[in-house]
Formats: sequence, structure tokens, C-alpha cells
Amino acid sequence: MSRLIRGVGAVLLAGAVLGGCATHPNSEQALQQAGGDFQKVKEDANVLRFAPKDVIRAGESLARADRLSTYWGSGADVEHYAYLSRRYSAIAREHTEQGLNAERGARLELERQRLQLALRESKLSSVQQQGKWLEEQITSLATQTDRGLVMTLGDVLFDTGDAELKNSANRTVLKIVQFLQLNPKRVVRIEGYADNTGGEQENLRLSRDRAQSVADVLVDLGIDEKRIQVEGYGDQYPVEANASERGRAQNRRVEIVFSDAKGQLGAAR
Amino acid sequence: MIFRPLLAALAVVALAGCAADPAPTEQLRLTRQALEQASAVGAVAEESAELKLAEDKFARAEADMADQSYKDARMQAEQAELDARLAEAQVLTRKSQEQLNVLNTRITRLRKQLQLGEAQ
Repeated sequence: MSRLIRGVGAVLLAGAVLGGCATHPNSEQALQQAGGDFQKVKEDANVLRFAPKDVIRAGESLARADRLSTYWGSGADVEHYAYLSRRYSAIAREHTEQGLNAERGARLELERQRLQLALRESKLSSVQQQGKWLEEQITSLATQTDRGLVMTLGDVLFDTGDAELKNSANRTVLKIVQFLQLNPKRVVRIEGYADNTGGEQENLRLSRDRAQSVADVLVDLGIDEKRIQVEGYGDQYPVEANASERGRAQNRRVEIVFSDAKGQLGAAR
Repeated sequence: MIFRPLLAALAVVALAGCAADPAPTEQLRLTRQALEQASAVGAVAEESAELKLAEDKFARAEADMADQSYKDARMQAEQAELDARLAEAQVLTRKSQEQLNVLNTRITRLRKQLQLGEAQ
């Protein structure tokens, strides 16, 4: 009899010593898994940095599971606290990933801003280069006078008695439009001139119409009307003698006077 | 004589098992809150195995409450709370990852544009 008692007692003791695993093999496995998970998060410096509370809770639950495992018949409780511990470890990892992503995001955001700035600068410089190139073109087409920078749309761009700008002027007009678009402060005065064929009144009207037709094209191409003044000077201020057809053709012209970069335009004639 | 240790052991089990656990009303409230929070950030049981677990366990916890099996109710509710918190955390992690992806896409596009600009 007493041998039997000792035997039973020994079995019970062994059970307790083995930490409950004798009664619940699942609980031993759960405990090991929870321990493994906890070990991993505990050793991760980032997890400790971003989710210290979760790690502490995982550790507390694990300790509880561990303690319970020394009691006989507590398998279900061991599994329960091991489960909670594993969940806390998993939550710790998620919180860490979020923290790391926030840091990565901040770095990427700085990088994005840097690149955006660089792109803006490069676009600006390409516009500036384009502007410089156009300015050179305009300067080569225009001459610096005491009235300012003056470009002459002359020669064979108008027929006698006609105000319509010929197509051959298109390229020059387009350059003027681009130049004005790149230099939004500059304004222009468009001055029309006629040869001395026809009467004075008629020439005044014709010269004004010529200037207006150039202005109309600029407006059609998107230049604000307010930036354009239009004047007609009739047959005044000829650039050549009206004696020859060639001279008269030179006098049938439109001159475009550009303001300076600040929009200051020289006085009209 | 042989029954004494067994009886003692049984008593221990009985004490451990149903030693008048109080009704875990506070834990159920916490769990409900965790479930609500998970839903609020956009977790759905169809996509999240964790949230599905949480909902199922919470339902069981409520049933256990009705049966006055308070210990079972508490354990189910405790697990459900952490299942729900994990589901919530997973959604937030995914969202933060998506934000990174958006940023990376933008950066790639900016780099490409800058290279194009240099090539011109």
C-alpha cells in the first residue's frame, strides 16, 4: 500500500517538476514557441526602440505561462498565456515596422523635396537658357536705338496700299510672341509707317492698320492686349527716299519698340 | 489511502478551474473596444484571419458570459482583444507601407524627369 502511495506521489512530483508538460504536451510546445518569439523581439534593437511596452507585456505573459507550467493541470492556462505572449510579440513587430516605415517615409519625403527642388531649378534654368537664346535672336533682328530696342518688320512684308501682314513674317512674329511670353514684364509699341503713295490721311490710316494687324496677330497668339500699344505715323519718318520702288518698299514697314525688362517703354515719337 | 493524493489533486484542479472567477465585464468592454478600433482603421474579417479569430472568440466569450463560465469568457475575451489589436496593427503597417510605395513612385518619376532634363 505505502509503496503505491509513494509511486503515485512520485508521478505527481515528476509531473510538477517537468513543468506540466507531462499532462499537456501542447502547452510545452506553446511555451517554447512563445519563448522563441519573445527572444527574437527582445534581441531586436528596433523593437526595443519602437515597442518597448509590447515587449514588456510579451515578457510578462510568458513569465506567467512559465510559472503556471510548474503547476499540475494548468495546461490550458499555460497555452492561454503563451498565446497572449506570442500575440504581444507579433504586435511589437507590427508597431516596430510602422515606426521604421515612418522613419523611412521621413527620409523619402526629404529626398522627394530635394528632387522636386532640383527639377524646378533645372526647368527654370532651361527656360532661362531658352529666354537668353531668344533674346539674342531678337537682338540680332532688332537694333538698339535711342527709342530702345527696335525691330523692323519691313521690306516686303506689306504690299502697297495693303495692311495685311504677309506669311513670310510669321517666323519673326512667333519669335516676338515667345520672347514676350518669356519676359512677361516687357511691353511693346507697334508703330506703323507708309510710303508716300496716296494722301496723308489715307497713309495715316494705312500705317495704323498695318501696326494693328501685327498687334492682332500677337493678341491671337496669346499676348495680352494691355501689353501692346499701337501707333500710326503715316509717311513720316521714312528710312529711305521714296523716289524708288525699293525705297518705298523699305518705308512700308512696322516697327516694334520693346520696353526694357521692367516694362519701361520709351516715349512715342 | 490511495485516494487521498488523487483527491487533493482533484481539489486543486477544481480550485484552479472554477474557483469563483468574477464576471469579466471590464475585459469584454476592452475587447469590444479593440474590435471597434480595428474596424475603424479598416480591418475586415474577410481579409484578416486575425480579426475573424477575434470576432469568433468574442462571440464565444459572450456565450460563455451567458453561461456564467466566467473563466472561459475571460480567456476568450483576452485572446480576442489581442487578435483584434494585431489585426489593427497589421492594417496600419500595410498603410504605412503603401505610403512608402507612393513616395517611392513619386521619387522615381522625379528622377526620370531630371534625367530627361539633363539629356536635353
